[in-house]
Parts: sequence; structure tokens; C-alpha cells
Amino acid sequence: MGVPSWASPFRLRYWRRIWPWVLLSVGLAFVRLSKGAGFSDAYAFLSRPFWPGPAQREWIQKGMQLEQQARIRLLEEDNKRLREILSLDRSSKAGVVSAAVISRTPNGWWQQLELGKGQINGIAPGNAVLGPGGLLGTIKSVTPTTSRVRLLTAPGSRVGIWLPRTKRHGILIGVGTNRPLLRFLDKNPQAREGDVVSTSPASTLVPPNVPVGVIQSLENQAVPAPQANVQLIAAPEAIDWVQVQTR
Amino acid sequence: MSRIHQRAICVSSGLAVPLLTLLAPNWLSLSGIGPCWVVLWLLPCALEEGPLSGIFSGFCQGLILDGVTLGGPTHIPILILLGFWWGRLGRRGIPIDGSLNLGLLSWIGSVLVGLSLWIQTWILESESSAHSFQVWGLHTVLAQGIITGLMAPIACSWLLLRWRKRS
Repeated sequence: MGVPSWASPFRLRYWRRIWPWVLLSVGLAFVRLSKGAGFSDAYAFLSRPFWPGPAQREWIQKGMQLEQQARIRLLEEDNKRLREILSLDRSSKAGVVSAAVISRTPNGWWQQLELGKGQINGIAPGNAVLGPGGLLGTIKSVTPTTSRVRLLTAPGSRVGIWLPRTKRHGILIGVGTNRPLLRFLDKNPQAREGDVVSTSPASTLVPPNVPVGVIQSLENQAVPAPQANVQLIAAPEAIDWVQVQTR
Repeated sequence: MSRIHQRAICVSSGLAVPLLTLLAPNWLSLSGIGPCWVVLWLLPCALEEGPLSGIFSGFCQGLILDGVTLGGPTHIPILILLGFWWGRLGRRGIPIDGSLNLGLLSWIGSVLVGLSLWIQTWILESESSAHSFQVWGLHTVLAQGIITGLMAPIACSWLLLRWRKRS
């Protein structure tokens, strides 16, 4: 009886040589499919001693109080009875989780933040992320202890917004630069430079009436509808703590 | 490809690439853009280990980087190509270890990685035809290429030295 072909000494030796590499590839494929689980968690664990301290957190909370005042003013303009008739989600129903920013790349190919809290803290993909001043982005993916935020400036980011002054809707589109593009849905949005942009009061994906930015420049001749460049109120370069609005 | 334990330095330094990508030190950036860490690691690795290991390393790094970034565009095809190209260069003729050569090769690598991500984003995002998107893409490609090219003589030479000492 001879040795079966699959177990010939050459093949066995070859298999013994390559199995660690095969195992490594399978492991890395798991990392890819889980959107960085393991790596992001290891990074969070290793960088924990360098996370921003509580002093910055208090400063952020003061900023958040100012933002809340601006938000209340916007909410007063809202038609409360109409909201009740429409049975819209109220922001008070949502929970808020404070999370430290443990990694940030606001300018390169990947405009993202990595937060030090994840699935075990109740954060889920799609949750809105707020910084002092307004909306920063939405949660793109989560691991047990970290979560990844797609910033409003990132290519591919789209958020429905409106102009409280003229009550016109539009879509805020990330194009990579610090100033995302606001594409209006109306042909005549009656917008002007300096107008404040906020999330739509009818929004169910992001919290309603959250300030987002200020119109910097307008292109009224753009086709099919006018568009504008928006300067965001919350700057991701300087934020160490954010608040995640869980549902 | 050699046994994995014989390439401990290569594997362990490779694991530092995604951590450095996440860390993104602010003081090591040009106009807010950091170096392309994967190029700084893949270049010496492929030059030293050859085309097959270069392809495999590029594939593995692509998997990890796709895992720790937002998604959409992928790093895998361009890193495989770069791994193969640099692996073949390393197997031909005189060893490449001059600062200018390493800087130039890593600059080309970083620009190619950037162009690959830019073109993929362009195709995937229908709204990316905006003028400001093109300006941002060009700015990011150039800034990342320059900072990577400037760092290569230090980082790549050091890694090459370590690997050659080991082997």
C-alpha cells in the first residue's frame, strides 16, 4: 500500500509551511468583515491612558449648554401641534452617551472619528454624533468597545437639512473639504450668505432642529437647483468629547 | 514565503501600520494630511522578501486597512500591485537602499494609492463630480505623497536595515 497522493511528503511539507499564512489571511479577513474588530479594540485599550481628561469634558458640557439654548430657540419656532399630529420622534426620547474621541482623521482620505465607546454602551450604526455647536456626523460601524463616525465632510455623507429662516429643505453632501455642499430641493430657496442651517424638524434619522452650520457662499445658477457651501459649527479637529444620540 | 516565526519583525511591524493609521499624529502631517504608513512598511518588506511576499503583504495590509476605515473604496488592488512591483525590483540587480531611491519609490507608491482611492470615490459617489471634490482629491494626493516621500529615507532605511540584519 502506497502513501495517498494528498499526503505525499512534499505536499505535507508544503502545507506545514503555508498553514500559518493561511491562518493569518483568514484572521485578517475576519478583521475586514467585522470592520476592524480587534484592531480598533486593541487601539482603544492601548491608547486609554492618553484619552482626554475630565477638564475638557466640562468645557464641552458648557459648550453643549450654549448649543442647547440655541436649540430651544429653534424649537420654539416649531409648530408643536403639527409635530404631535405627525407623530414625529422627539429628541427627548433618545438617550445620550458621552464618548471620548480616541482617533481622528478629519482631513485625509478617510474623514472619520474613532470613539472610545461602542456596542456595549448602546451605540449602533446610524446614531447621530453631536459636538459642541452642532451635528458632527453619524455612526458608521461599531465594535464592542469602539465606534466609527463618518463626518459630515466625508465623501458619501448625506444628511437632510433645512433653513429655519425660509423653511426650505436641502441635502448636505460631504465632498472631502471642510465645507460640505448644500444642495437645495427648491429652485428658489430664498437663502442668503450667513443663514443658519439645521437638521430638519421632521427628521427621524438624526435629531430634529440641531444646528449644523452657516452658509458661506451661494451658487444660485447651479443646475438643477441652487447650491451652497456650508461652514460647519462643530469643528472635528478640536473636539475631544462628543455625545452620541442613541435611539 | 518563509515560515511565519522567521519573519517575526516583518509581521509585528506590519501590525503597527493600522495602529499608526488610527493614531494619525497631528505633528507628523502636512496641511493636515499624514503619511501613507502602509507604503512606508510595504516598500522595504517587498524589496527584501520578493514579489510573492510583496503580493501577500499588500493583500493582508489591504484587508486590515479596509477594516479600520470607513469603507467604500478599497486598498487591496493597489497594494497588491505595489507589493508585486517592488518585490520584482528588489530581486533585480543592485539592492535599492539609497535615500533618493526609497523616497522616490515611496512617493510614487503614495501617489498611486491616493489616485486609486480618489478614482474609486469618484466612481462610487455620484455627487463627487463637484469642483471642490476634485480640488480636495488633488490636494490630498500631493500632500500625502510629499510627507510620505520625506519620511521614507528614515523609516524605510531603518526597516531595511533591521530586516537585513535579521536575515
